Amino acid sequence: MRESARDLLRQYDKKFPLKHAGEIYADTTDIVRIGYGDVIELAGLHYLVLRDEIERRFGVEDVKYWVKRCRCLETNQSKILKLVFHETFPQKFGDAEILCYRSEQKEARILDMVRGDARFMQGFSAPDAAGNLVRVLDVIRGKRLDLTVEDIDADHETYFHDHLPGLLRDWAGACRAIASLHSRDEKHGDIRRDHLWIDYKSGGYTWIDFDFTFDCVESPFGLDILGLGNSLVFLAGKADLTPGVIAETFGERALDSLCPQDFSLFFRNRLVNLRTIYPYVPQSLNNVLMHFSAASEVFYESVDELLGDLMPAVEDIDRA
Amino acid sequence: MDPKKMLIAVDASENAQRAAEYAARIVGATPGFSLTLLTLERPPERDLYKDDAAHRAACQAREGEMRAAQGAIKAVLVAGGVPAGMISAHYVASCKSPQAEGADQCSLGQSIALEILDFAKAQGCGTVVVGRRGVSKAEEFLFGSVSSKIVHNAKNCTVWVIS
Repeated sequence: MRESARDLLRQYDKKFPLKHAGEIYADTTDIVRIGYGDVIELAGLHYLVLRDEIERRFGVEDVKYWVKRCRCLETNQSKILKLVFHETFPQKFGDAEILCYRSEQKEARILDMVRGDARFMQGFSAPDAAGNLVRVLDVIRGKRLDLTVEDIDADHETYFHDHLPGLLRDWAGACRAIASLHSRDEKHGDIRRDHLWIDYKSGGYTWIDFDFTFDCVESPFGLDILGLGNSLVFLAGKADLTPGVIAETFGERALDSLCPQDFSLFFRNRLVNLRTIYPYVPQSLNNVLMHFSAASEVFYESVDELLGDLMPAVEDIDRA
Repeated sequence: MDPKKMLIAVDASENAQRAAEYAARIVGATPGFSLTLLTLERPPERDLYKDDAAHRAACQAREGEMRAAQGAIKAVLVAGGVPAGMISAHYVASCKSPQAEGADQCSLGQSIALEILDFAKAQGCGTVVVGRRGVSKAEEFLFGSVSSKIVHNAKNCTVWVIS
């Protein structure tokens, strides 16, 4: 007779309240049905489901029903299991629209490609009983880059001189990690500042979530570079400098000196031309930022181009 | 590079048709000219499809569309007065497409613009004709612009950008 989840839990996890024991799922197709107390059977191991992962962004909590926080019963290790969830949707970036989609194959391929490279989340993929390619991911013990920056207790000028140069050098390492993907004809696909984590122990930067992709032939890495640019503007500003934030910090009159070209090409309410409000931002850094502004006529096509301009600008911050 | 040897970059867009119509008006049946139609396959991304069979089917469909577009462009040129004997057509499959198996030459797909220029150079074409989409800044950032990149990178040849 086939083991039940209750049998497994009794054997491997004596502390788990058996009244919550659920079902064993070898087929993970029904992602919403699988929840707390269920056990996912995959590649000869059993993963107790503890909860669905939640993404917190812009103050909103988004439950990711296809991403399960688990504990492997046999090894007692915490793991994140990403189940197959296909979604295809057009995403607007300014007046441009890109067809984005989620691909388990892409993420599995990149996991294989970056195995042992701590700049990327680690894990493996395995098909479940129905052939769904499940990704089994190590849990990162660290903190999101954006939260790390937001939690630095300093005014902008102090932050800019005392913290930013180090942050940018580390961030440049993360950019080189992305360049290493591009050199192998792969893209991250969903570069956001909350998809970059800083490891508590090593301080290393680690990218997560590679399952998004998009179809852009002539500029295959354009969306990745846009993501890096958005992150860079955030790092340099220590916040998203929206008109509301600017008015609150500098007074309403500060807005009078700004024009639409000072803001992001893609997010028209985010200030990019930081020198207008922070005059100690070196021209060299501001020039890099302005590549992502509505005023720009030339755009970075590669990570190397971006870093080629950014690294001298970091030296300029040090000298200032 | 012979300026009378013209390469027309062809895809399934209206821009390519405009480029062909313009070239036909300029060249007509003038002796000494030759027109090379070049189509570089852009297959749909493999990751968009659940399995290889679905991707192969999509690639076949895309190839059919692009070959049909190339045929239509040739018809535009002939209707515009260019003798069929002055026109040659090349279809280069993508290296990423299952259709490329066994092909002598395939397109790496990293930059359509640079591959067009490489092909023109190899064929000794002194004039490159390309249609222009007319993209916004945001679109150029995200998608790139084949015509802009051709203009920026062309050497020893003339580029006609047809808007």
